[in-house]
Amino acid sequence: MDREFHIDDSAELYAVGALDERERAEVDAHVAECPECLRRLGEAEETVLALERVNIAEPADRSVSVMPIRPRGFAAWWLAVAAAAAFILGFVVPHGTPRSGDATLAMIGSHFSHAQFTGKGPAAKVIYARDRSWYYVIVAGGGRYEVYGIGNGRDVDLGSTQPQGATSELFARVATPFGRIELRANGAAIETAAIR
Amino acid sequence: MRDASLESAFARRDASAYEAAYHAFGPRMRTAALRVLRDADAARECVQDVFLHLWRSGSTYSAERGSLEAFLVVCTRNRALTRVRSENRARETARRIDVPEGYTMEEDPIERERVQRALTRLTEGQADVVRRAYYDGLTLAEVAADLAIPIGTVKGRLSVALRALRSELAVEGADGP
Repeated sequence: MDREFHIDDSAELYAVGALDERERAEVDAHVAECPECLRRLGEAEETVLALERVNIAEPADRSVSVMPIRPRGFAAWWLAVAAAAAFILGFVVPHGTPRSGDATLAMIGSHFSHAQFTGKGPAAKVIYARDRSWYYVIVAGGGRYEVYGIGNGRDVDLGSTQPQGATSELFARVATPFGRIELRANGAAIETAAIR
Repeated sequence: MRDASLESAFARRDASAYEAAYHAFGPRMRTAALRVLRDADAARECVQDVFLHLWRSGSTYSAERGSLEAFLVVCTRNRALTRVRSENRARETARRIDVPEGYTMEEDPIERERVQRALTRLTEGQADVVRRAYYDGLTLAEVAADLAIPIGTVKGRLSVALRALRSELAVEGADGP
């Protein structure tokens, strides 16, 4: 979609779900460069949100099975899913990655937390299981970094991050917990994240 | 009420903001997905897919676009509709359903009435396309076939209808208490 032509009616069609993936991608690309169309798309989305608030549906189809909304423990599912996706899709092949579907499901269901790296390197974070059984490192940019787990006086090489579009990532499942995760470039430590 | 700090943190791809957005808007997103998919498990998966996709691909959201809630609801609908259409289940979605218990959102009755009143001010032709394209989740081609009108007419009516709704809601908002 050319910058000169603007998205016009496509804003409303996008918001209401009437465009296919290719057409939506064209709109996304255009609004990334055009503040005027971005505002127009946002207005259309607000209108759709208003429609969503009005249920004009016919009587219920109770054949639909309904699961209760999960409690808070399920809150940060998306982080675990991201880690699982990295494993499932084979984006990374870290040391000790689980090989069975059961292991992956167990990983998804576990509780986890996250920490920012600090230091002179790029923006980075690590998502990890609270039992410290796995770590998912995400670094901004497309570089490759060595990842080490530090704990009990040992430095354990967990592998290197792999570029994934705008980020470089590593998933590692480990047998022993770490107190810190370190990013290294050419063997030199550049950033550290404290695991609490 | 928009949360500017949450919206800017989400735009920066902050992990805590993703979690907060899930808490704040997840129920609404699940309801939107359920309206299309008619399956509670699939709706929940759809919401998870939206967050995962935005996280992995880098979100196109910015606060200048509008509210984060509207952005996420539209993302969810689009993803749900893509899934349904790819599974060639569009016909199935034509049977509308009520939102099952457990997913119904708490709504401000005044806001709800305001939107319903705006809907009644659409022309019959506009209301027809909104109902089919939005609430029934039909593709433009299916709406055109249903109403026996050209697809270009469907596009035009839909765009005009949404803009009319926006104007109505803006006027009512300005006149309101």
